[in-house]
Amino acid sequence: MNKISERQIYFFLACIAPVAKLIVMPARLAGYCGNDLWLPALFQFAVQSLAVFCALLLAKRGKSLYDLLADRTGTIFAKIVVLLVGAFLLFAGILPLLEQKLFVQGVFYDTLPSILSFAPFFLFLAYLCSKPLASYGRVFDLLAPIALVGLAGVLLFSVGNADYGAILPVGASGARGLLKGTAYSFAWFYDSALLLMMLGKFDYKKGMAWKGAVCYLAGGAAVVFFLVVFYGIFGGTAVNQFFAFTKTSKYFSGFTVLGRVDYLFIFLLSLASSFYTALPVSGAIESIVQAFGQKKYLPTLLSVFLAAGYFLLTYLLDFRFGDVMRAIAEQAFYLFPAFALLLPPLLLFLLIGGKHETA
Amino acid sequence: MKLHKFLKTVPMKLYLILLAVILFSFFSNDFGLVDIQKTAIILAAGVDKTEEGFSLTSQIAVPKGSDRAQGGTSSVNITTQGETVSDCVTALFGKTGWVPKLVFCDLIVLGEEAAKEDVISYLNYFLRNEYMPDNCLLAVCEGKAEKLITSTSAIDDASSLAIEKLFSDAAEKSGKVMTNTLKDFAIDYYDVGKSSYLPYVKMSPQKGAIPGGDSVGSGSAGGSGGSGGSESEEQIYTAEETALFAEGKMVGKLPAEQTLALSLLEGNVLAGTFNAKEKGKPVTLTVVRNSGGVSLDMKGAPTAKLTVDVTCRLCCRGTTAPIEDISSDAVSPEILEDAKNVLKGYIEGLWNTCKEAKCDVLELKRKLYRSSLKKYEEWEEFLLTSVRPDISADVKSMK
Repeated sequence: MNKISERQIYFFLACIAPVAKLIVMPARLAGYCGNDLWLPALFQFAVQSLAVFCALLLAKRGKSLYDLLADRTGTIFAKIVVLLVGAFLLFAGILPLLEQKLFVQGVFYDTLPSILSFAPFFLFLAYLCSKPLASYGRVFDLLAPIALVGLAGVLLFSVGNADYGAILPVGASGARGLLKGTAYSFAWFYDSALLLMMLGKFDYKKGMAWKGAVCYLAGGAAVVFFLVVFYGIFGGTAVNQFFAFTKTSKYFSGFTVLGRVDYLFIFLLSLASSFYTALPVSGAIESIVQAFGQKKYLPTLLSVFLAAGYFLLTYLLDFRFGDVMRAIAEQAFYLFPAFALLLPPLLLFLLIGGKHETA
Repeated sequence: MKLHKFLKTVPMKLYLILLAVILFSFFSNDFGLVDIQKTAIILAAGVDKTEEGFSLTSQIAVPKGSDRAQGGTSSVNITTQGETVSDCVTALFGKTGWVPKLVFCDLIVLGEEAAKEDVISYLNYFLRNEYMPDNCLLAVCEGKAEKLITSTSAIDDASSLAIEKLFSDAAEKSGKVMTNTLKDFAIDYYDVGKSSYLPYVKMSPQKGAIPGGDSVGSGSAGGSGGSGGSESEEQIYTAEETALFAEGKMVGKLPAEQTLALSLLEGNVLAGTFNAKEKGKPVTLTVVRNSGGVSLDMKGAPTAKLTVDVTCRLCCRGTTAPIEDISSDAVSPEILEDAKNVLKGYIEGLWNTCKEAKCDVLELKRKLYRSSLKKYEEWEEFLLTSVRPDISADVKSMK
């Protein structure tokens, strides 16, 4: 089977993972900590890059998460952990899915469309998730320049309209605001957990762990810069600006002559984020495949079943995005650091012990 | 079999590109096509206060048919009432069957009475509306907004289009008008200073127009279901005055010269003009370069430094002049000295008006907040009343 290459992993970390943080997260962060919105994001990227570092180190043995655990702890425990990670990814995937739905309905339609307008997305989801996780490698290759050009274009049209003084004074939201911003933004940071499910799908190359962490930090720097620009443009009203990356560029003065050419870049970013939305579901399917073994039609059946389940969920939660977001990002926020921050170093610790034992 | 073989040779990239194209088309919403038979494309909205709540006058673009010779924009004005602005918009749908579409709304005019209340109490409808462009222009008008919106413009088919011309980039650079948008007004409102400004629009009858006559190119129709009809007399509009807002309420008005002073302080002016005197005779100067700023010095007693730097050329004398004088752009030292005093006077007037209105349109609180949170907390209450101005104007001649 084809494997994800080293380059493709870097592309994912530097270009694709950051895009999903540009839809609802900026407005939520502005709500939690106002002009300090960039500080929790900076913290999240810093700690998440450490988790990415650990997750990439786990790839040194070239084994999947299940195999790594089974070697060390036995198959039952391995199954439990892998399935828990899969369940977590399914849970984590709800927020980006609803974000994507609201984003499509809010930005590409000028009156509220029916939920059926978004329904074809689930066909795309079912198709993409029926493919092996390793096939994302080619997707990363294609999406990385798309996401890069999209973000660069949006930033190009936005930077001139920002009042950068708006982020001053630093720390105005106080310790409470910063803590709230940090805790409630965990829901957008689970890229290391996605990497855990990709273990065994790529070969570890020398220096890959730190290079991957640096790539993730580079993507994070772009997001943090975007947050500064975002707050510079909207100031105190930033909390009201959902779908952030579609909003910042529209004030470019040249558009009176050119028309909204920034939509081309917005389309590129939305394309990249559509694929990112499917990643947690693919990760969850991979976890089941790892736990119960590769069966011929299992991934296809699971992808259809999960896409249908997500469609039903989207239908049931159609007008309850606020509640869902509060439930996931504010009430169950601790699940995210547990799986995305603590699990990779814990596994590394466990497996370092294992290495000594086998040696 | 052959087909299967062919499909195997098609690279994955092509599938993905095809998928991207399909997704692009899917997300494009038919590239924004609008069924104009079912939609009320609102060009401008006017909000007035009524006893029950609000009245909203919507200027709606209507198709002109196939008569290409006529051209221009045809519009109809409809006034609706309700307890909230949202009620008014819903009533518009109820009265016409058109789905109100605010995505092309480029102007919101507030009636003078409505502006004396906290305007966010009704502007919040537009801020909440995801389909409303928040960079639409915002203005206050003398009297009722309904009267302004339903008036017949002497210069354009629709009154809103004529008013928007007053807010063009060129007009703003002339220093004669201070424009503002919904977004920027809201940012100022929710900022520490809670102060902002809006252009103040007045209308006056165009001399020579025939009252009730059929004016060429006028496409405004009377309001259906609303109070008051259209003004049949052709009107021209001005927005040289600027309304000051504090905590969302209109608290004062800057006359034309103070509007120019505010523009100069923001460094906006290019090709704007103002008058000075030479030997008691009027001289018009054109600003060719302008920089300005307001800074706050908190060492000792708080001082606001208001600085305007202007380079100008002679534009016109109010007296006869020899050809040698006409061929020169240079400004004499006497005029420069007077121009400096004129600008200082304008800025001083601006300062006094703002102070009287307790309006922080010069953003002193914002400056203090950004530079020192501690000092801001100390001075928050008293800053506007205790700060002293230090005004300097430098006028240079173009060489």
